[in-house]
Amino acid sequence: MVVSGALMGLVYALIAYGFQLTFATSKSINFGQGELVMLSAFFSLSLLDWGVPYWLMVPGGLLFGVALGLVVERACVRLSLEQKNEGWILLSIIFGLLGFSVAENIWGRDDRPFPTPISTEPMQFFGVRITPLEISVAIGVLAVMGLIELFKRKTLLGKAFEAVSADRDAAELMGISATHTIMLSYGLSGMVAAMAGILISPITTVGPTMASALILKAFAVAVVAGLDSGFGVVLVGIFLGALESLTSFYLGSGWREAPGLILLILALAVRPNGVFGKASIRKV
Amino acid sequence: MLKRLLFIRGAELLALAILATIPLTVDNSYALGLLTLLAIYGILLIGLDVTVGYLGQINLAHAAFLGLGAYAAGLSVSLLGFGMLAALAVSMIIGLILGGLLAFPALRLEGPQFALATLSFSALSVIVLNEWESLTQGAQGLSIDRPHFLGMSLDAQGFYWLCLLMLILVWIAMRNLLSSQWGRAFEALRDSPIATDAMGVGTYRHKVAGFAFGSSLGGLAGGLYAFNFQYLQPQGFTYDLMVILLLGVVLGGRKSLWGAFFGATLIVLLPNLLSNWMLFEIISALGFAAALAAAIVGWKKNSKVTFQAAAPVIAMGILVVGGFMVENTESWRKAIFALMLFAVVVGLPDGIMGFAARYLTRLFNIDPPALPKASALDAVLPLQFPNEKPLLILKNLKRYFGGVKAVDDLSMSVLSGQIHGLIGPNGSGKSTAVNVISGLYAPTSGDILLQGKSLPQGSLFKVARTGVARTFQNLQLFAELSALENVMLALKGVYRTPLPLVLLGFARAEEKRAQANALALLELVGLQDQARVHAKDLTYGSQRFLEIARALARKPKLLILDEPAAGLAHPDVNHLVQIINRVNQRGMTIILIEHHMDVVSSLCHRVTVLDGGHKIAEGTAEEIKRDPLVIKAYLGIADDSPASAATA
Repeated sequence: MVVSGALMGLVYALIAYGFQLTFATSKSINFGQGELVMLSAFFSLSLLDWGVPYWLMVPGGLLFGVALGLVVERACVRLSLEQKNEGWILLSIIFGLLGFSVAENIWGRDDRPFPTPISTEPMQFFGVRITPLEISVAIGVLAVMGLIELFKRKTLLGKAFEAVSADRDAAELMGISATHTIMLSYGLSGMVAAMAGILISPITTVGPTMASALILKAFAVAVVAGLDSGFGVVLVGIFLGALESLTSFYLGSGWREAPGLILLILALAVRPNGVFGKASIRKV
Repeated sequence: MLKRLLFIRGAELLALAILATIPLTVDNSYALGLLTLLAIYGILLIGLDVTVGYLGQINLAHAAFLGLGAYAAGLSVSLLGFGMLAALAVSMIIGLILGGLLAFPALRLEGPQFALATLSFSALSVIVLNEWESLTQGAQGLSIDRPHFLGMSLDAQGFYWLCLLMLILVWIAMRNLLSSQWGRAFEALRDSPIATDAMGVGTYRHKVAGFAFGSSLGGLAGGLYAFNFQYLQPQGFTYDLMVILLLGVVLGGRKSLWGAFFGATLIVLLPNLLSNWMLFEIISALGFAAALAAAIVGWKKNSKVTFQAAAPVIAMGILVVGGFMVENTESWRKAIFALMLFAVVVGLPDGIMGFAARYLTRLFNIDPPALPKASALDAVLPLQFPNEKPLLILKNLKRYFGGVKAVDDLSMSVLSGQIHGLIGPNGSGKSTAVNVISGLYAPTSGDILLQGKSLPQGSLFKVARTGVARTFQNLQLFAELSALENVMLALKGVYRTPLPLVLLGFARAEEKRAQANALALLELVGLQDQARVHAKDLTYGSQRFLEIARALARKPKLLILDEPAAGLAHPDVNHLVQIINRVNQRGMTIILIEHHMDVVSSLCHRVTVLDGGHKIAEGTAEEIKRDPLVIKAYLGIADDSPASAATA
């Protein structure tokens, strides 16, 4: 049970990783990221309904996520970054509201099952019951994060990404377009969200309300680990996922989300830059 | 003056008269319900505007405070048998206490982190309300009887008047608060938290107080909400409601009582507007036309279609077209909210009331109220009598950043009544040294003594309170405040009225005195004619002088000027020298960081030269100029090796 929780936590970590991608380049995060996960999951479900085979659906869903990420960047983020204000918080909340309403009206308010070709028969590993589906989630999460990290380190475009994260102005002076890099980061972030949606939906089912449930946990993971902590999110995600299943076992499922929220507030109070984050120096 | 009173108070009285008489003329329980809700939401949004508008932070916890206040009021009636007023007081206090508790950790944060902290708080509150079933009945819901009000049992109409009365009281209290030092502080700490601290106005405590006050209004609204509906469910206070509240404040207009009220009207009326398809289409078409007109005007002016101009048109366009494609506008409620909110946030950042207020002020040419006569300078900036003893002593001061020794083992003393120059090449540690003295950075080690007593370390606010005032190399003015208000904010020893009395309106005399004192300081630096000009609209030179006037308002023992002549034109430099001389003649001790050697030589009694974080020379300006070490530091020439001059 704790192990399943921890594996779920990996999905939270994946969404939190999406926050890190955009925070690194633009110091902004998408408050409507949960809706991105949910919309991509619904879209993928529709692809399956239209008869698209599972393994073709996955890239389709990911592309849809990328497109949504780019819309968020254009409509919500770029505008307020140009004006150097924090309007993107409000605008991305608005985007989330729109996404929620659209999903509610197109796909309905009820939770729907999400098919998967991978077996859900539990297996025994050293006394721990675990399903191949859950293992596939873990593999999927780590593979996506690994690939993106590899992309950032090994390709020229990825190095531009790192440069903008380190110092936006300096990168611009070196001829790297910060705008394009931020677009890239939002595209990747959208893709990561779609991946999270496809991975978690077979376990949790798909419904409009999955957005708010997931985003709170992903926020908790991102903040506790630190928004610039790299792989710290994986550890915190596993920890939080395990903690959640323990809480819902001992206190009842209504309290399931409480530890994440408390951790989030505590982390902000004690270490605003996260457990794995770095502090910055004020300058005048 | 009269015109101003007439318009502003007149509008308030007119609105009040209409609100108070509707229930007498119209006998319609549905309309009465809407009016009651309007008064409640009015209070709620005025409270939310404190954080969203004045503190400039996205606050996602306000719906939770409404809920907590509602449950507190309901439970104090059903469990403790409280009357109406006592129950409302309880809900306010719950808002105040929980708001304060949340504010302590949350307000150390900015922007997204603050939004997240408040979001978690509100999610947590709903969980607790849902799961603490023994107290709140959980998801089943809690039924409440409306208690007696001073022994009377209120019917729907009586309860409406009570809500209206509360709204009026909140409105007046808020107006008093905003026109006091508190309102200025809210505005200032959004512009520059660093300068707010450096002027001895605690950023943090004002934020916490503002947030707690706003939350207590949320609690009060919650109490009224509970007695209005007489049935509560935790689901009523979730994120969905929060987004709608944000919509109200932003749509109506941030930083405006009228904006909050207008936003409340929209929230109350919108569901009704949406249920009628025809009405919805008319409104969205009007919105589309307005956005299009604005975009065309903007396009003519800039001959370029920016996304900012086009986005509201697109959003409203989707709304109009979408209206024809869906059957039931009610079920698309959230999407409609989202599109409207998007159009307003992008197109009218000041909201509808902000836009209207600017337009009306110009249309009727309403002047700001007249200023009082300036106080005597002796009262504002008392003469000090220097005693030739050291005022400030630095002992082995060190500040390292990782491996960089920005200030390394610096010892110096500043004699009282003197202008002490601090010079050195770029990167020599001058700015770090004054940043450590003024408390922006804590020293790595070493001691700073002011009049023999250790200065607090690492807190701008505490150092400012002990009598050290500073200006900033990169200007840190409060851009949205006028020159006068910039100085008024920093005034020391004027604001004595405690917060409850400020809310009741007892701070007016104090305000007049503050204006008079601030004017005297503006005269000292020659800005008396620009008192009402926003700091951001002053010329660069005037902004530098305003920073000095603002620092003087602290009545400091020690004034630190961080490169006051940087970037000034020649006539302004002369004016600056005059100002500094005049201030020094009043007995003020000054540390002057400067690159202009002529300014330094004409003003400074003593000069300390830094290089690489070390003190390399000290003496009068003339002695310094001849010091070989100083010449080497500046020009990179060693006296004995002319060869290096060629390569340098």
